[in-house]
Amino acid sequence: MGTDQEKAQAVISEFLQRIEKGVGGWTDETGLWGEGLGLDSLEAAELSAMLEDEFGSDPFSAGGELPETVGNVIAFYATVST
Amino acid sequence: MIHLLEAAAASSPDQEAVVTSESSATYGELLDGSRRVATALRRRGITRFAVVEPDAGLVLRLLAGAALAGAEPCQYQPDTDGTEFVDHASVLDHKFVVTRRDDLSGAFDFIHPDELTAESGDNTVVPEDDSAQPLLIRTTGTTGQPKAARHDWRVLGKTVANVRPKPDHRWLLAYGPQQFAGIQVLLHVVASRATLVAPFPRQPKNGLEALLTQRVNCVSATPTFWRFLLAEARSRKTTFPPLEQITLGGEASPADLLEEIRAIFGDAKVSQVYASTEFGSITSVSDCKPGIAVDSLYSESNPASNVRVDDGELWVRAGAGMLGYVGESSRAESAGASEPVGSAGGEWRRTGDLVEIVGDRVMFRGRKSEVINVGGVKVHPLPVEDRITGLESVAMARVFGRPSKLTGAIVAVEIVPVGGIAGAHIEGIRSEVKAAVADLPRAWHPRSVTFVDTIETRGGKTIRGMQD
Repeated sequence: MGTDQEKAQAVISEFLQRIEKGVGGWTDETGLWGEGLGLDSLEAAELSAMLEDEFGSDPFSAGGELPETVGNVIAFYATVST
Repeated sequence: MIHLLEAAAASSPDQEAVVTSESSATYGELLDGSRRVATALRRRGITRFAVVEPDAGLVLRLLAGAALAGAEPCQYQPDTDGTEFVDHASVLDHKFVVTRRDDLSGAFDFIHPDELTAESGDNTVVPEDDSAQPLLIRTTGTTGQPKAARHDWRVLGKTVANVRPKPDHRWLLAYGPQQFAGIQVLLHVVASRATLVAPFPRQPKNGLEALLTQRVNCVSATPTFWRFLLAEARSRKTTFPPLEQITLGGEASPADLLEEIRAIFGDAKVSQVYASTEFGSITSVSDCKPGIAVDSLYSESNPASNVRVDDGELWVRAGAGMLGYVGESSRAESAGASEPVGSAGGEWRRTGDLVEIVGDRVMFRGRKSEVINVGGVKVHPLPVEDRITGLESVAMARVFGRPSKLTGAIVAVEIVPVGGIAGAHIEGIRSEVKAAVADLPRAWHPRSVTFVDTIETRGGKTIRGMQD
């Protein structure tokens, strides 16, 4: 089904539907926190778990700085797969 | 055990005592075999030994024979891994191993059970009334060093002192006889001169088969065993025969499971037993409601109770508990007596079971070791699990902690849909789960929901707590 980045985008879309956020639309530039999607730590942990289930790793658990935008999350899988 | 067996054999020698997948035996035959075992143990100078044996009929002979000879048996799970067995048996200092398995190795003296039961008959082995009848029961802990609780049949036998003969009862052995609950079933069956139906393997589907073909009318099992058994029965569209006695123990019994059991087996007496390997059998309730009644707790007006609640944890004082762990000298021994831990002076002990008083009930919230720390919020898995297993679309579920870099842990749930994954409306069940936990604090909401064909168990119990 497409590249890892496309799969990551699908996981994020499914996650946002489940938590009923981002209903007004989102792009790679949309922030994960605050004025963006406004994820709290529990929601971020849920997304982290969904991504880990799909890929075996996720940008929230990889160490270093947390991703700030949707694009940062998707880009993590570009880095991993290349 | 041996005195109960002698009494049963004297009054009902031809009564069927045990039916297994391999054979059956009367009380007279069991007693004869036990005496042979006792004679062989004495002749060989064996005072303690390990048992790795699936057949409950043989196990009964070995246990009763050991009691007669004053030797200490210790059962291992019949299918125990060979390497693990060597480790544990070495720690517990077992030199003699009674088993039919030929794949076990190590610096042990292996004895085929036939070598003991084929010993020439000798009725001269008679225990003195006050001599020890030791029994070692390994605990079901999963980490750390192997542990084993030292018991004495004379103490354990007190729990069935008032049991009356019920020769028409046929009890399913759903526990392993190496478990404390299994030992309780063995004692109850022999004390009531009933029949033990003991299929092997002891999986719920084997139990269901025994219910349908072996005229079983009494069952003692964990709630998890019942969930699997009922799911198996639903998939086969089974019509159950009536049962007379149902005993649940080892875990908290959820309300929805009790209701389902009550709906299917309306005439059965349903008891929930609170017991542990360490403390023995503490209390039981038979009102078919979850938890235990508040008015059964220890108080000035109920000073005989062995149960009380302190700071959200259940405390008990033992009636027929262990004498101590292997490697520990017990207070009883140092005092020159054979009394169980916690009995002398009414000493209260923590159980590690977290509870909450809700109205007139003491409700179980899970084990201390099962608490999930979600960002500093302590989450008890049982209340979450109860809500999910209460959904009509869910056959079974287990709630546990899943590590998270962000919050330390999140609440995770594995769900077995009714009818299996294929054909289940997965997204619909997700929505139902979300609605079912909506009024719980947010940290308690499952953040990882996966759908599985079956859930993992250990010793017939659901595995909760933190999982990797």
